[in-house]
Amino acid sequence: MVEKSKNGGMSFGSDAEITTSVQTARILVVDDMALMRQMIGMCLNRGGYDNIHYASDGDEALEAVEADLPDIVILDLNMPRVSGYEVCKALRADKRFAGLPILVQSASETPEERVEVFKAGATDFVSKPINQPELLARVQMHLENKFLIHSLTDFRERMKSELVLAREMQESLLPEALTINELEDTTNLKIEHYYQASFELGGDLWGCWSLPGDRIGVFVLDISGHGVSAALNTFRVHAVMGRFKWSLQDPALFLSDLNRVLAPHFPLGQFATMFYYTLNYKTGDLVYAGAGAPRPMVVGENGVRLLDSVGVPVGVIKKPGYENHTDRLEENESLFCYSDVLVEAIQPDGTFLGEEGLVKWVEEVAESGDRSSLVSKILWRFFDSQPQALPDDLTAVTVHRGGRQP
Amino acid sequence: MDYRIENNDKSANVVFSGDITFSENVSFRQLLKDIAEIDIERCVFDLSNVDMVDSAGLGMFLIAREQAETSGWRLSVSGAQGHVASMLKLTKLSDLLDG
Repeated sequence: MVEKSKNGGMSFGSDAEITTSVQTARILVVDDMALMRQMIGMCLNRGGYDNIHYASDGDEALEAVEADLPDIVILDLNMPRVSGYEVCKALRADKRFAGLPILVQSASETPEERVEVFKAGATDFVSKPINQPELLARVQMHLENKFLIHSLTDFRERMKSELVLAREMQESLLPEALTINELEDTTNLKIEHYYQASFELGGDLWGCWSLPGDRIGVFVLDISGHGVSAALNTFRVHAVMGRFKWSLQDPALFLSDLNRVLAPHFPLGQFATMFYYTLNYKTGDLVYAGAGAPRPMVVGENGVRLLDSVGVPVGVIKKPGYENHTDRLEENESLFCYSDVLVEAIQPDGTFLGEEGLVKWVEEVAESGDRSSLVSKILWRFFDSQPQALPDDLTAVTVHRGGRQP
Repeated sequence: MDYRIENNDKSANVVFSGDITFSENVSFRQLLKDIAEIDIERCVFDLSNVDMVDSAGLGMFLIAREQAETSGWRLSVSGAQGHVASMLKLTKLSDLLDG
């Protein structure tokens, strides 16, 4: 078992590691003739292998594999009782041994037999009498392949679990359900939200908090690009936001503060499009500032109204000059913010929805009456059109004014 | 995304077609290398055949703009329409990119 833990585990296949693995590989030689076993063993010894084990028939071979998994099997075909063919088939029928290289050796060699051997699951074939350099070359090649594949599989598995972990950590930056519920209870607003990280990590983030003077603050942001750097920057943005206490009450100032701190750290070509607003839940007074985020929609009985989110994204220039705009969210109106994947994802017909298309969808939902589940209705329709995994993070946040049943 | 560089007398015209999105990262960097190899004072990105640009695509324009500043040529964009035009306007990059 020592060899196995050396080969597997956390080593990720540097050349040196694979060479060591090959040299210490556990080799099982199966042959019913003692002389043949001895010859092959000596040949392997001379080739630098010394972890060699023997079995004198098929039954013994299967037992040996079960007891302690070898790294390669050198298998004779013609043996009494259980033949080499049967050993091959038995091993291949078992998932645990799917990656085990089986090198078959046989004296009688016809094209038909070769076909049969490979059909039974052999990895490769050497003919008897054994040509020593050929045997060694084939053993080495198959061991190297095996360890390379093994280390790649390990590496892939680890990357996969790291990505899952990273996505979970990113999701932990979002407001907790408890926080949202408390906010809803004190404000009589309904906050409908959805967030889904793309498979390869993305850079979306949203948040909400209560502010003095019967107000709440809500932001959505999207860091350009995908992958680890975009995702890591969401952590940076989140950490920076925690430092701003008083500018939370002034959207334009909030964006300017963020820009001042973040611009020097964003790599060239990366930035955050953003929208931040404060809403007085008693009067409906709305103050907002945009930094190039998709234009939010105010949805009410009269249809859809787009808010002005024009602004240089956060992180591009030193003085973006953000401006506050004012508006009012009437009772029974909803404010819908979303990230760009919703309008940019390619639809089955090859086109993309675009802002106009999304406005149409939202209008249709609005006409149907119940706007309290606007986000889920829109997303239902959206996911219907997106059978594959999304290319980017998706965020949608709607604040419904007028209580839980508008 | 495909592009074609028309180069005459110290000025280059880059005609794009297709979508300019995150996945075009590599070809866009190649384009910047291509431009770096010619001696120009001015470069225009012709976007009239581009249907869509995402935020990563806009980021690539900003990288081009930086390269223009350090190499001493002027970058501008032209012909943007539909989604591309609204993205440039929304992010005010149309001002930054002289478009």
